[in-house]
Amino acid sequence: MANRSLALQLDEVVQAMLVSLQPRREKTPDRELASLARVAQELRDLPREEFRTALKSDLQRRASTSESTAAAKAGTGEEQVGTVHYMRPGLTSITPYIIVRGASQFIEFLKTAFEATERMRVPAPDGSIMHAEVAIGNGAIEVSDGSDAYPAAPQAIHLYVDDPDATYARTLQGGSTSFYAPTDDHPSGDRWGAVKDPFGNHWYIAKPRGWTPGPEGLRSVQPYLHLREAHKMIPFLVAAFGAEAMGVHASPQGVVHHATIRIGNATLEIDEAHREFQPMPCHLHVYVPDTDAVYEQALRAGATSIEPPRNAPYGDRAAGVKDAWGNSWFIATYLGNK
Amino acid sequence: MTFFLADSYIVRAKMATRRPARKASAKGVEEGVPLGTGQIAEPRLVQAAQSDPAKFDALYELHFERVYAFAASRVRDRATAEDVTSEVFHKALANLPTYEWRGVPFLAWLLRIAANAIVDHAKRAARELPAPDDPPEQANDPNVQASEMRAIEHRALLFRLVGQLPAIQKQVVLERFVEQRSIKEIAQRLGKTEGAVKQLQLRAVQNLRAQMEGSNG
Repeated sequence: MANRSLALQLDEVVQAMLVSLQPRREKTPDRELASLARVAQELRDLPREEFRTALKSDLQRRASTSESTAAAKAGTGEEQVGTVHYMRPGLTSITPYIIVRGASQFIEFLKTAFEATERMRVPAPDGSIMHAEVAIGNGAIEVSDGSDAYPAAPQAIHLYVDDPDATYARTLQGGSTSFYAPTDDHPSGDRWGAVKDPFGNHWYIAKPRGWTPGPEGLRSVQPYLHLREAHKMIPFLVAAFGAEAMGVHASPQGVVHHATIRIGNATLEIDEAHREFQPMPCHLHVYVPDTDAVYEQALRAGATSIEPPRNAPYGDRAAGVKDAWGNSWFIATYLGNK
Repeated sequence: MTFFLADSYIVRAKMATRRPARKASAKGVEEGVPLGTGQIAEPRLVQAAQSDPAKFDALYELHFERVYAFAASRVRDRATAEDVTSEVFHKALANLPTYEWRGVPFLAWLLRIAANAIVDHAKRAARELPAPDDPPEQANDPNVQASEMRAIEHRALLFRLVGQLPAIQKQVVLERFVEQRSIKEIAQRLGKTEGAVKQLQLRAVQNLRAQMEGSNG
């Protein structure tokens, strides 16, 4: 009898709750009823099963069409962010490949200065690092030990971080030398500082003003190429990689002060070499939808071949070219599980 | 020929484990309840979906209730909660390759997308029809506080548990709370007396409460 009464009481609470627009705290002295009312209150927000099922089907359709769209747009540089199955998981369209003497210490530096995470390390028989992959923010850097055959090739990297001042301080503690401390007066409008690490790499440590890191946010890691005749790099990248110049600031004489260039879902920056920011020919690892097509395009655009496309045993279609500035571009298409 | 293309250099590198393998199964995900066990398998689920968008399903199954609970708690009506939830998963699918482990759980990323979507909805709504009453402050907060997180987990678990109820109790809950039908209408649809439907409603809510208490420890 008491139970029946509770059923009625609960329904009165539920009825009142359902007809009121605002959730309302039921004043009831009955603790039993109150705890049931709390559960009922939360059930008001219960999702519709039909919605859950329909959204799932919708996403499944989207997932399957995104792959075919990517294939159709191969090589055009128009592929959407979501259609990047041609990239090895964890990497974006452009990843700097830094060769250093003392790769192990370099990785420690990256961890300390930039809160980097080591994802992979493959030692060589002599104990040096054959290949390593390190995540910084939402980007990645590949690293290996230099040797006589593969000399060290430091590079310049523009790093977006949440706290440029703290990051800058940590790089100095790690033995870097300062070009200049973070300042709000940088021409980019970002808060921006610059250092050279003990391994010869330049780090431009910045945070856009008013930026909140989020899913649509900027890439943490962007290679920054200082070039002679930088203006010629733009048509080369457009022709070779289907790149897009997103912002070009040039003097009336055509000297490029700064340009951002997008390939796939990542960007790199270039400018005309000046003062202490001189060319540092480097290695870049670029994932594209069709290695063969991009390799041919790159040669037509004036690059020289390092190696023609082949199916590399590690599961990429891979090729290599060198541009007129001495940078190596390792072109790859991930052939792994889709 | 460079280090990069030389097989000796890279083959072993790429064949080696890219990330520390986490020995965890997706069992908890498939079983649905409890929610917590799925977290262990999450890194692998994310990685799988990054290489194969068709595998995004598993992440959807893992997080649908949480995202919906978050959206529903911050917006006023069911239609908007559904719009936001839909937007979150579509954006997450589209931007999945850009999601990286920064010690930020996948859910935190989803909720950030949701928080942004909710703000956008509020702005659009304000342009179309200036609201006489402002939305709650929290609705525009891009951050999710720990207390809100606990409430989301709690509610998401409750939503899952509804699916585990005996069929007839589940139906009463869905008709009553989702469809917002009257007891009389539900009684007619189920061919039962109104008293019986109220009893079923009570038993369903009691069951849910008991399981929530059990899971909360």
